[in-house]
Amino acid sequence: MQGFDEPNVPAAKLGEAGLQTSRRNYNGFNVPTAAPVILGLIMVNADARRSSVFLRFTDFVRKGAVFGSALAALSMALCPTVAQAQAQTEPLSQIHIGVILPSTSEGTELDHAVAQAAQQGVVLATEEFTQNATMFGIDFAVVTAEGEGPDVIAAAEDLLAGGDVFAIAGGFDTEEGRLLSQWANEKSVPFVNLFASDDRLRNELCAATSFHVAPSSAMYLDALTSWYVRAGLRNWFVVRGEDEESAAQYERLGRALSERHFGAREVGHAVLSPGVGLQDDALDAIASSGADLVVLLSPAQDQLDALVRLEKRNLALMVTGFPYAQAQTRAFFAASRDAAPILGVGMRALAWESTLDAYGARELNARYMDRWDQPMESAAWAGYQGIKVLFESAMFSSSTEAEPVLSYLAAPSSIFDVWKGIGTSFRPWDHQLRQPLYLSKIDPAATETRLLGQLVGELPAIYMPGTDPVERLDQIGDLPGQSKCRL
Amino acid sequence: MRNSTRRRRIGASMGVAIGALLAALPATAQEDIYRVYVANEFSADITVIDTATDEVAQTITISDRPGEVRPRGMAVSPDGETIYVSVSDFYPELEAPEDKILAINVETNEVAGEFRAGGNPERIAVSPDGTQVWASLEALAQGAGYNVATGERFAVHRVGVEAEGVAVSPDNKWVYVTAEATHTVTIIDIAANKVAKHLLVGNRPRVVEFSTDGKRAYVSAEIGGIISVIDTEQQVVTQTINLGLDSRPVEVAVAPDGKRLYVAGGGTSAVYVIDTESNEVIETITERMGRRPWGIAVTPDGRRVYTANGLSDSVSVIDTSTLQVINNIPAGRGAHSVEIGVVPAND
Repeated sequence: MQGFDEPNVPAAKLGEAGLQTSRRNYNGFNVPTAAPVILGLIMVNADARRSSVFLRFTDFVRKGAVFGSALAALSMALCPTVAQAQAQTEPLSQIHIGVILPSTSEGTELDHAVAQAAQQGVVLATEEFTQNATMFGIDFAVVTAEGEGPDVIAAAEDLLAGGDVFAIAGGFDTEEGRLLSQWANEKSVPFVNLFASDDRLRNELCAATSFHVAPSSAMYLDALTSWYVRAGLRNWFVVRGEDEESAAQYERLGRALSERHFGAREVGHAVLSPGVGLQDDALDAIASSGADLVVLLSPAQDQLDALVRLEKRNLALMVTGFPYAQAQTRAFFAASRDAAPILGVGMRALAWESTLDAYGARELNARYMDRWDQPMESAAWAGYQGIKVLFESAMFSSSTEAEPVLSYLAAPSSIFDVWKGIGTSFRPWDHQLRQPLYLSKIDPAATETRLLGQLVGELPAIYMPGTDPVERLDQIGDLPGQSKCRL
Repeated sequence: MRNSTRRRRIGASMGVAIGALLAALPATAQEDIYRVYVANEFSADITVIDTATDEVAQTITISDRPGEVRPRGMAVSPDGETIYVSVSDFYPELEAPEDKILAINVETNEVAGEFRAGGNPERIAVSPDGTQVWASLEALAQGAGYNVATGERFAVHRVGVEAEGVAVSPDNKWVYVTAEATHTVTIIDIAANKVAKHLLVGNRPRVVEFSTDGKRAYVSAEIGGIISVIDTEQQVVTQTINLGLDSRPVEVAVAPDGKRLYVAGGGTSAVYVIDTESNEVIETITERMGRRPWGIAVTPDGRRVYTANGLSDSVSVIDTSTLQVINNIPAGRGAHSVEIGVVPAND
């Protein structure tokens, strides 16, 4: 088993996956890597030459016979709008998807963990959906670029121009999500947000071309509130940053407590200044507040620093934090445990948990483990599902044109299986993917990376016969009346 | 002599209940004995239920390592006298020592043989002539055929990711294999030993079953909440039966007369009864149903439906004349699939 602190993704393995990666540095200059060829496409064709099955399917796809009929029947059943669009198009022959990933060679250890997981998830999806596409004689490729911050726009431009992609996936923080969402809207390109949770992207900054596989902050906060209120924790002290995103999280958490999940109250809060950790006055305030839970609405590294200081105070309470991408890694779990052996082994909200063992999650987690010898983390799940959502939108709408793809993504009847045991769909009012979230308990003694976290909760619980599944999933996140999005 | 010897074996294996039943019945009134087999994936055993009493007659241990070894899919031979069980471990590695297919003799309730089926075999089907068993190999994304007499694998074909359901057409010409992750059904031409076609169906297809006349195939889509109806001559999806997003249908069973399709709705703890003429749901059975019915089977006389209920570790019994649950029987942990074996009356 490979340790969490020894990430090791052989470059050769990435090459085998059929990924093309171009690199853009922070100054906005292209760093040449590979010629602009789409290796995924080449791989498909190479396989095709060896496969009589492929040749047969190429033939009948060209004739537009059976496959078209089956797809039409399914499309008709799923979405009249899509079906109408599909009826006007030729059978699909090519699906190229662009993905913008964070750099694996920049940033902190936690940043690296996120980048590596996302990349590995994308590779696994590329391999599996290449197989699927090949069955239907479709040329499939995932073209990736590394880019962070403002560089994501140039990366997206490169992918659109050089990769012949019909859609873009990316967004690992608010800035990237905002920039890519705006860019995609201007270009009329479907965009899937993989990990930017900021609620503003689903409200005042929402766009008709943007769809959020990433759970929203509101969903995470509703889930955390529900879990901890049910656990009997009634007095909450909130630590937040000075930035707008953290302020918005604080405001939304207040609404969750006062309007949705009754039973707990805020007993105090503190604001962290940039670069300054939790100070004595804040620690004194927490100690005297009677808090039984401290919620850290701050970046992952700040959460670790706060845990160290809280631990030194020997406070009898629990600590959790906002699940930024970095805080959803096993590397963070290990760091949290090391930083604070008592307070740092609490429960954490996640988009995906590698010990989830139901609904087919066992199989996905196992395939990922077989492929990478590492547990599938949230960023890997997001990368995988982002490609899946776009691939299926093209397949089921039988098009890579923006309009039918966007119509398919937005249709309430379009169902996506993201291995969470229930059909998920994008909310029509803000394009947020409805989905359950998970609560993981950091294990105080585990030595195996995967077992650093143990699944302890799912919210909403999906097995509730007699209730409406969509209403069930909408128990977390903003409802239409609260949304500022006008699509 | 042969018959009396076999009867003694039945009596020994099935216990007092069956023995008393046989003794009480006049020889001319004896009917086939049906035995319900339930694969329990968490307790690693098979529950055997006597349909005459709806009581557990026996529990067959598959492994002494429950939680590590899991029996899941089952199939019954055409004569009803052999139950095949696919066995794997819980971690879907490409190959594991536990990956195999077992054959259980219905008369003796003993494991009569086994053969290797590497790659996490999940579900299986028997050819109409009883000479072949086909399996979906989930971890390898393959459909594979095995010779029952020798255990030799004579066919293996690439299918979609997370292969699951498998069925052999009544005319013994085609094998259909579903794949959960890719929403596909792969059609294998048995005689030519090659893949003929791939079809898109609903989200996360689980189980495929043919109609009794072989003209249609029904595919359950767990996440899509639908049944896709395939015209087997044209090999296209011709209709979609919507059961609801939360229905999560898994196993389906066709009534012996072909007029009804029974669907286990795991998400709603319901059984959906579909008229195969109209392809409409004519009844949704929820009252007294066990929790999360996953497996479903109809007795050969069509009078009873049995469901394997994964969350309540039980089997529900449905009277097909009233479409009501008439009994619930305890099973092992994680009841997954159910099949009906037959001991012929004139045996």
